[in-house]
Amino acid sequence: MARIRVLTPVGAVRSETLVAPPLPGDLAGRTVGFIDNTKHNFDRLADELGALLRARHGVTAVLRRRKANAAVAAPPELIAELAKACDVVFAGSGD
Amino acid sequence: MAGLPLLVVQHPLGGEPPESVARRAQQALEQLASLLGDPAAAVPTGAIPSAPEAPDLSLPDDPEAVLAEFVARQWCDGLPIIPPTAARVGAMLGGAPPDRALGALPPLWRPATLEKLAVNAVMAGCEPAAFPVLVAAVQAMLDPAFNLYGVQATTHPVAPLVIVHGPVAARIGVHAGSGCFGPGFRANATIGRALRLILMNVGGAWPGRHDMATQGSPAKFAYCIAERVDASPWGPWRAEDAVTVFGGEPPHNVNDHVSTTAAGILATVADTAVSLGSNVGWFLAQSQLLLVLGPEHAATIAADGFTRADVQRHVFEHARLPLRTLKLGGMWGMQDWPAWLSAVRDDDALLPQVPSPDDVFVLVAGGPGKHSAVVPNCTFSRAVSRPLAPPG
Repeated sequence: MARIRVLTPVGAVRSETLVAPPLPGDLAGRTVGFIDNTKHNFDRLADELGALLRARHGVTAVLRRRKANAAVAAPPELIAELAKACDVVFAGSGD
Repeated sequence: MAGLPLLVVQHPLGGEPPESVARRAQQALEQLASLLGDPAAAVPTGAIPSAPEAPDLSLPDDPEAVLAEFVARQWCDGLPIIPPTAARVGAMLGGAPPDRALGALPPLWRPATLEKLAVNAVMAGCEPAAFPVLVAAVQAMLDPAFNLYGVQATTHPVAPLVIVHGPVAARIGVHAGSGCFGPGFRANATIGRALRLILMNVGGAWPGRHDMATQGSPAKFAYCIAERVDASPWGPWRAEDAVTVFGGEPPHNVNDHVSTTAAGILATVADTAVSLGSNVGWFLAQSQLLLVLGPEHAATIAADGFTRADVQRHVFEHARLPLRTLKLGGMWGMQDWPAWLSAVRDDDALLPQVPSPDDVFVLVAGGPGKHSAVVPNCTFSRAVSRPLAPPG
């Protein structure tokens, strides 16, 4: 059978450079942050995790910030604030 | 998020009782313990490919073999395709520069070059005359106001509705009459389908993987109409050759066989436009309603002296739900409302579902009959229009 050549419909792969520090060896004396994605129960989950991190990992401070709604990215000023104040930040994704 | 350490929380989280949430927190903490201080969990730096390269292919010149290969590679929607040969893609481009990129399509942020748009347009069965419409639709979707990332990745069944305005609609055969949301018309079917293939193949939104729609909708196959200008008492919504993309739910039927007044028809419209299960209203600043009036309903409304602006204001004033109803479910507790709305305490207060009359769009489409449609948006994407221009 004759053959045909077809072009791929898939977009070209985009490479990105991601630079982020590794997680610290432990969280004792550290400040951790949460970006609440506003989905139901994320606030409870962050409450629970924050309490556990304080009790079991020696975390000294927990910062909670909330996006405007689940469908938009966190604003740059919120990210900048957490980046400055926190050693580790947990961002909620999904529901 | 490629490369970032993840704590996987068991789904679902929403709606779970407190003890279940506490258990998920415990499970997440156990995962965290294994990540801390683990060099393997460190974020790698450097080039991170988002997916393997997808090559051009040499295939048997047989429609069934081509379809089988494209299905196996998850390169199509499951329906037969026209093989995108270089000659067909060239004809679709019509001399436009293939490497020109309109922007990066989420969620995988891959460049929407004219060549990739043309390949998908060929597959969908588009005629080259429709290509400028497709290009304008992609440009419109790339406007930040459309929030294409949200539209692509959400669990909501949103699909971009393409509305083709102006004389171009008739020239390329976009149907605006009986059954305009349904099958039978090549331009509607293939422009809508091409857009979906672009969103899947270039954007990377595959069902259950990046397109996280819980159920999706038939509108995700193809969703494209034109205005029935000849039957509109108020003229077209937009007169010039242009495209509007509207991140909508599938059409909600407005059946009113009995009303003989504008108030009667619009009461049925308003009731259809509000329901606890619709996304509209929860993120108020982004909420919009599209009212697609059948010609007979439009004529009845206009006969009472209503202008298009009157229709917009009437729907804005009457498509409302009481606070007590909103508290029953939906997205209560997750709403993104302005302070003046959040301050309402009267459970009987009727709350608006869109921020202003200008967020109710009105056009006429369809054939004989006593039906219209309300298309609620997904509440996190705003309609965007773009004029048509040569794709070069």
